[in-house]
Amino acid sequence: MTKQELIEKVNSVLAEEFEKEVEELTPDANIKQTLELDSLSLVDMVALIDEEFGVKIASSELVKIQTFQALYDYLEEHMAA
Amino acid sequence: MEKTIFEGEGIFKLIPQRPPMVMIDKVLTQFEIVVSTCLTIEKDNIFVDNGELRENGIVEHIAQSAAAMTGYSTFLHGKEPVLGFIGEVKKCCFFKLPEVGDTLETKLEVIGEAAGVTLLNANTQIVGTEQKVAECQMKIFLKQ
Repeated sequence: MTKQELIEKVNSVLAEEFEKEVEELTPDANIKQTLELDSLSLVDMVALIDEEFGVKIASSELVKIQTFQALYDYLEEHMAA
Repeated sequence: MEKTIFEGEGIFKLIPQRPPMVMIDKVLTQFEIVVSTCLTIEKDNIFVDNGELRENGIVEHIAQSAAAMTGYSTFLHGKEPVLGFIGEVKKCCFFKLPEVGDTLETKLEVIGEAAGVTLLNANTQIVGTEQKVAECQMKIFLKQ
């Protein structure tokens, strides 16, 4: 999977799950604000990422992933590992 | 395949509830993870009505199972169990109301953890049968 394909799949999966338009998910946008995640729904995103991409995001890492770009980079790094 | 079993008052090491609110009577762990819990339904169970365990009792059983799962990690660190709260219940289906004398077994699978919230799948069935009782996804968070 190329980086661009990864980005498109991430955006598609998240937009569908959290009922957003794909166009709203831009690289520099804040994930929590864009997807309107609260402390309870954040875990839904973590479970979805694990299910779709096979990557478990530890809570200690999650706090560092603020933007979609950071999420793309994290997944690219850990899917390749 | 080492298994550790908590039962009787040993359960109190994992959850803060006390009788008559205790809704699990056996906890099985494997490789330092809680894999399943059991409950034999007594006639004086406070969630029993007309000889059947009602839906709210099943949810409480699942919630305490989840609390035991998270409580086991605090137990391993030598700490007292902390109160767990149900954050959300979804994809919940009840297939059969179990009866007095039935023993429930609930299998748990954590599918996500973030910001102190644990998301898990729970499947409950009657021991000795293939009868499913309930399944659901539940979010649990622990009192800090």
